[in-house]
Amino acid sequence: MAENNSLVRVEKLVKHFPITQGVIIQRQVGAVKAVDGISFDIKHGETLGLVGESGCGKSTTGRTILQLHEPTAGKVYYDGEDLTTMGESDLRRLRREMQIIFQDPYASLNPRMTIGDIIGEPLDIHKIGTAKERLERVQELLNLVRLNPFFIKRYPHEFSGGQRQRIGVARALALNPNFIVCDEPISALDVSVQAQVVNLLEELQEKFDLTYLFIAHDLSMVRHISDRIAVMYLGKLVELADKDELFYNKMHPYAIALLSAVPIPDPVKERQRKRIILEGDVPSPAKPPSGCRFHTRCPIAQDICKVEDPPFEEKTPGHWVACHFTKKAQEEML
Amino acid sequence: MARYIFRRILQFIPVLIAISLFTFVLMQAIPGGPFDFAGDRSLPPTIVANLEAKYHLDWPMWKQYLSYMIGDDILGEEGGSRGVIRGDFGPSYHFRGQTVADIIKITLPVSAQLGFMSLLLAIIIGIPAGIIAALNQNSWIDYTTTFGAVMFVSIPNMVLAPILIWIFALILGWFPVAGWGAKPPYLLGFLPTALNKEFFSHAIMPVFALGTGSAAGIARLTRASLLQVIGEDYIRTARAKGLRERAVIVIHALKNSLIPVVTILGPAFAALLTGTFIVEQIFGINGMGKHFVTSVGNRDYQVITSVTLLYAVVLVIANLVVDITYAWLDPRIRYD
Repeated sequence: MAENNSLVRVEKLVKHFPITQGVIIQRQVGAVKAVDGISFDIKHGETLGLVGESGCGKSTTGRTILQLHEPTAGKVYYDGEDLTTMGESDLRRLRREMQIIFQDPYASLNPRMTIGDIIGEPLDIHKIGTAKERLERVQELLNLVRLNPFFIKRYPHEFSGGQRQRIGVARALALNPNFIVCDEPISALDVSVQAQVVNLLEELQEKFDLTYLFIAHDLSMVRHISDRIAVMYLGKLVELADKDELFYNKMHPYAIALLSAVPIPDPVKERQRKRIILEGDVPSPAKPPSGCRFHTRCPIAQDICKVEDPPFEEKTPGHWVACHFTKKAQEEML
Repeated sequence: MARYIFRRILQFIPVLIAISLFTFVLMQAIPGGPFDFAGDRSLPPTIVANLEAKYHLDWPMWKQYLSYMIGDDILGEEGGSRGVIRGDFGPSYHFRGQTVADIIKITLPVSAQLGFMSLLLAIIIGIPAGIIAALNQNSWIDYTTTFGAVMFVSIPNMVLAPILIWIFALILGWFPVAGWGAKPPYLLGFLPTALNKEFFSHAIMPVFALGTGSAAGIARLTRASLLQVIGEDYIRTARAKGLRERAVIVIHALKNSLIPVVTILGPAFAALLTGTFIVEQIFGINGMGKHFVTSVGNRDYQVITSVTLLYAVVLVIANLVVDITYAWLDPRIRYD
């Protein structure tokens, strides 16, 4: 799946969080397999949507790509450079180009710093410009996210959720990055404010040629903003395709079930919409099921699914699926 | 801010009046009086009556209280009391010829030195220990620190002090068994004039006995608070900005995690200053805590009420200082 124009390439990325026991002598008794061998690439200038249920490893994927979690195994290439084997100082240099916007705009801003300091700190630590130039840059960034530069001396608690998220965006943009992981940037916001932030993100993408990894669980929002969408289940990718391909020609039973939950804004069609309700709960990522991880809840699971983990393969050009029975799924579930 | 401080100080007045009233009434409610004994013999009733008349103890209680608080001349009575409001805390019944102010002037500096040094020790040991434990969470360093903290929180100073004396004074002979190394006159009224070997060799054991409990408490609080802050998203933000790990901890994590620690420093200081009596007793230090306890036994009403008032003032001022520091540390808090 190596493509020449990819900016970020993730290869067999694994992140396990150890579960330990014992007070004095610690031993590892297991691991939460938050991300368990996923591979994909993100092209220059595109938005890759990453969707899945809570706890499926979406956020961990985003953070592990940026090396905010140390990956257990696998490789992450940014512009051809391997981030996983990189030393601290090289990584810090690359942090200028990769940024993250967090889900919770209340928790992600240091309450003791003014927003001028929060936005300007990256410029400070990477020693960019003089103090005056930095101040101008901060004001410029505030203008960019449509906040009054007059607010520079205020503290995060003096802003609303949407304003705070825009501060988070300004902060992420301070170093002119190429790649931004948007870790559910709108989930904590009111619906009315969500649109503002999403529009802002799209506008900035166009203006600065940004590449996004957009993590979310709001499917209609992901469809709106993404070029391609990846569906994740229990630490694995199950389907990855262009957004229209995914919505109109979905193949994986989980993706079919997940996308059947998207309401249609047309009452007549909405009434005919076939909803597939999955039974049972998501299994624990500490003890994922054998074979295909989805077999415990899959309506079309066969014996082979319990034994053999289906490979993540390109069924049609650009459309990757991990399922033994894609035909059967489309026939029986759509 | 100035208005806030002014309002807080005004609020002290009813608090202090209530405390003085309670202490005054409760002390007098205890059976017995200041002149029951002279040495180990009891005094003849006529002498007791004379003494009580001299100190106006034959007056009704409300009149005694007012005489103590606002003075005899305002009450329109004969007598020398000028009242607490004009800085006259009255005479001591037990140490005749000494006023309460004299006693406080001699003993408070010693207790203050002991209390300050204990607080300093608690901060110097407690905060770094908590930080080190948190940064090495779940390692043997963390477990050792936490175990030590639980141990020192649990050992009361009346147990720790004799153990210290036994080991370091009797067996090893490093420090004197008892006494205090600083004598009046004091710098600014309470600081020792010479920080010499004499001073420190006397101070080490009592300061240690008094301060380790607080150090352990502060260590545990610092550890818990820092761990919580390190888990916050804005720490992740700081890492994503490309800050060095040291800068992440020092600039972003530490300042935020010390907020709860600062809030307990006020009460901790008051507790250390007022909690000195056991340590002073054990180490034979002529401090205010020791005097306070003895004067309860002696029914030395004026001393008890005055010292209680003084402690109350220290406590409310310490809390005010903490509240002001709090606003400085946490911009979300603003007073007006």
